[in-house]
Amino acid sequence: MPLSLYYYLAITAVNILMSWAIYLPYRVAHLHFITIANMTISGYLSGYLVMNLNMPFFWALLIGFAAGGIIGYIVSLFIGDAPTFAVVIVGFTFIYITRTVVENMPIIGGTMGMFGLPNIGGKPATHRYVILGILWALVVVVGFLIHRFDNSRLGKAASAVFVDKDLATSLGVDIKKLGQTLQVFSCIIAGGAGVLYGFIYKSFHLDFFTFHLVGIFMTTIFVGGYSTLWGTVLAAPILYGLPLLFPAEVQSWRIVIYGVILILVLMLKPEGFITRKFVHSIGIALSRKREKL
Amino acid sequence: MKKLVGVLVLLLVAASMSFGQAKVVVTEWQVPFLNSLTGAIAAIGEFLQWGAEYAAAEINAAGGIAGKPVKVIGVDTALDPQKGSVEMARLVKSSLVAMGPVPEPVIMAAMPIAVENEMVSITATTSFEYAKPYFPWTVSWFPPTLDRLPPLVVAWAKQFPAMKNVVQFVEPYGPWPGMAGAHSNALKTAGIKELTKVDVPSDAVTLGPLAVKAMAQKPEGVILVCNAEKAGKIVKELKNLGWKNMSQILVFSSADDPQLTNTAGADINGVQVYNYLNLATSNPRWDKFKVEFAKAHNGNPPFSLSPNYYDALYMIKEAIEKTGVTGDPKLLKVERKKIADYIANVKGFKGLLFDWDMKDGIPTNKPTYIFQFDQNGKKSLVMEVRP
Repeated sequence: MPLSLYYYLAITAVNILMSWAIYLPYRVAHLHFITIANMTISGYLSGYLVMNLNMPFFWALLIGFAAGGIIGYIVSLFIGDAPTFAVVIVGFTFIYITRTVVENMPIIGGTMGMFGLPNIGGKPATHRYVILGILWALVVVVGFLIHRFDNSRLGKAASAVFVDKDLATSLGVDIKKLGQTLQVFSCIIAGGAGVLYGFIYKSFHLDFFTFHLVGIFMTTIFVGGYSTLWGTVLAAPILYGLPLLFPAEVQSWRIVIYGVILILVLMLKPEGFITRKFVHSIGIALSRKREKL
Repeated sequence: MKKLVGVLVLLLVAASMSFGQAKVVVTEWQVPFLNSLTGAIAAIGEFLQWGAEYAAAEINAAGGIAGKPVKVIGVDTALDPQKGSVEMARLVKSSLVAMGPVPEPVIMAAMPIAVENEMVSITATTSFEYAKPYFPWTVSWFPPTLDRLPPLVVAWAKQFPAMKNVVQFVEPYGPWPGMAGAHSNALKTAGIKELTKVDVPSDAVTLGPLAVKAMAQKPEGVILVCNAEKAGKIVKELKNLGWKNMSQILVFSSADDPQLTNTAGADINGVQVYNYLNLATSNPRWDKFKVEFAKAHNGNPPFSLSPNYYDALYMIKEAIEKTGVTGDPKLLKVERKKIADYIANVKGFKGLLFDWDMKDGIPTNKPTYIFQFDQNGKKSLVMEVRP
C-alpha cells in the first residue's frame, strides 16, 4: 500500500471517530470538547506505558480507552445536564489544564514531546496494517453502535432533549443520565483515538492536540450534517483529502477555499449535506427496491 | 618531449577521472521543502523559503548542481502534523533528498517517515534535541543545547561583575524550558544565584503581573526565554517598573526577530541578545544576500533563521557533486545513503556567514554572538563566543 494512502486512510479514520465523539453529545446539544483533552491524556499515558514500562501496545490501548471513560464519567457527574455553554467552557478549560500538566511532566517529555514510539509487531509494514485494521474496525463498530443508538428510544429521547429540554423532561426522559451516557461514550472513543493518533506518527507532541482539532471536527460535523452520523462519514474524507489534491500554486489559498466551502454550506444547507430526512428517504428507496426484487 | 609527456599524462588522468565519474541522469534536481507557508508562522516560512529559492537561483546562475539546474519545491504543511505526514509520505516515494519540515510538531509527525524510508531531510531550523532522534537521516544545525548555551550566558554575565542574581522568564514551548535549564547551569558555573523562574503562559496577553512578580525578587539580571512579542512586552513592563540596567537583560535567540523591536520600541535600547546571525560579518555572498533580502522584505535586514535553508541547499549541492550522485531512480537507496554519509561529516563547509565542520551530524565549530541594541533599535556586536 502506498505510504501516502496509509496516512490518508489512518488520519481520516481518526477524524471520523473524533467527529463522532463530538457528534454524540451534540445529540443532546452538548459541545463536548473535553474529548480533545481525552485524546491527549490517553495518548501520552499509552506512550508512557509502552515506552517506559514496556507494556504491550494492546494493553496500553485498552487502558487508553478506559482512561477516557473514567475521566468522562467523573466530569459527567457535574455537567451531565449542564447547558451547552457550560459544557463548552469545561471542555476548553480541560484542554488548557491538560496542556499545563503535560508541559510540567518531564517523565512524558514535557514541552519537548515523546519520541520513538515502537512499531507494533516489530516491522513498519506490520505496524501500518495493525493501526489501519484497528482504526477501521473501530469505525465500523462505533458507527454501528451510533446507528443503533440513533434509531433507538434513547436516540429519539436525545432528539427531544436537543429540541426542548423541558418537553423531554415532561415526557419522562432522564436528561442527566442521557447526557452522562453520551459524554462517557464519546470520551471512551476519544481516549482510544488519541492512543492511535500518536502511534500513527510514532511520537507525541502537545501541538498534535490543539484547538485546530476542534476546528477540523466541527467543520466535519457541520459540513457533513450534524443530525446524522453519515454526514461525518462523507465529510471527513473529503475535507481532509481535498486540500491534498490542490496543486502547489493553490495550496496557499487552502484556508480560503476551506472557509468559502464552509460559508456556502452554512448558507445553502444549514443542516449540512446529509440530513436525517435525506437518510430516511434513501432508506425508504432501498427498502422499496428490495420489495420489488 | 618532456612537455608532450606531461600533457599526455594530464589527459590520461582527466580521462580516467571522467570515466570514473557517473553521469547525471536528471534534467533538473528537484528538492522539496516541507515548510509552513500558511498558518501561524507563515511569515517565518516565507523568509525560509526565500533563502532556499535565492540559493537555487544563485546555484543555477553558476551552472547548477553537477551541470543541471536545481528547483526548490515549496510543500506547504501549514503547521499541521496531519498534512505534514501525508506530504512526507508522498515525497519519500521518489525524492532523492528533501528539506524541512518546519516546525517541531510537523518534524515529529513527518520525520519518522523519512527515517523509515532512509531519505535525508534537513531540518535546519530546529534544535539538536529535535534533530537527533532522526539521525543519520537529518543533521543538526546547532550543537546540543547544553553545550552551546552555557558559554554564551557565562560570557554575558562576566560583563557585569556586580550582578549577583538573575531571574528567567520561561515560556513552556518545545525546547525552550530545556534552553532555560542550560542557562541555569551557566549561572551556577558563573557563581550567580538564580531566582525563582517566572512562567510565561503561551496564551498570556498582559505581562505586567509577571514583571511585577519578577521584580519582587529584586533581580539584578534578567534572561528572557519566550517568544519575541512577549519578550518585547516584558522589556517594556520592566522599564515601566523602573528597570535601569538594560544591558543586564538578555534575550534568547528564538526571540530575536522583528517583533521584538516592534513591540518594545525604544525600550529595547541597551538590551542584549544572543544569536548565530551576525549582520556585521562581511563577505561577497553574504553582502549580496543582505541586499537582495532587504529588497524583497521592505528594507529589513535578514532575520534570525533566514540563511539556514540557503546553506542547506548548498550542502545538498556539495553532497551530490562530491559523492557523484546521479539522480538515477534505480540508485535511489544507494544515493540517499551517500548524501546522508556526506553531510553528517562534511568538513570546511562554506556557509553563507562562516565555514564549519560536522561530526556525526553535529556542527563542531559554529560561532555564536552577543549583540546589544543601540539607540535606533539596531544591533551592534558585543562579542563572539566560540565553543
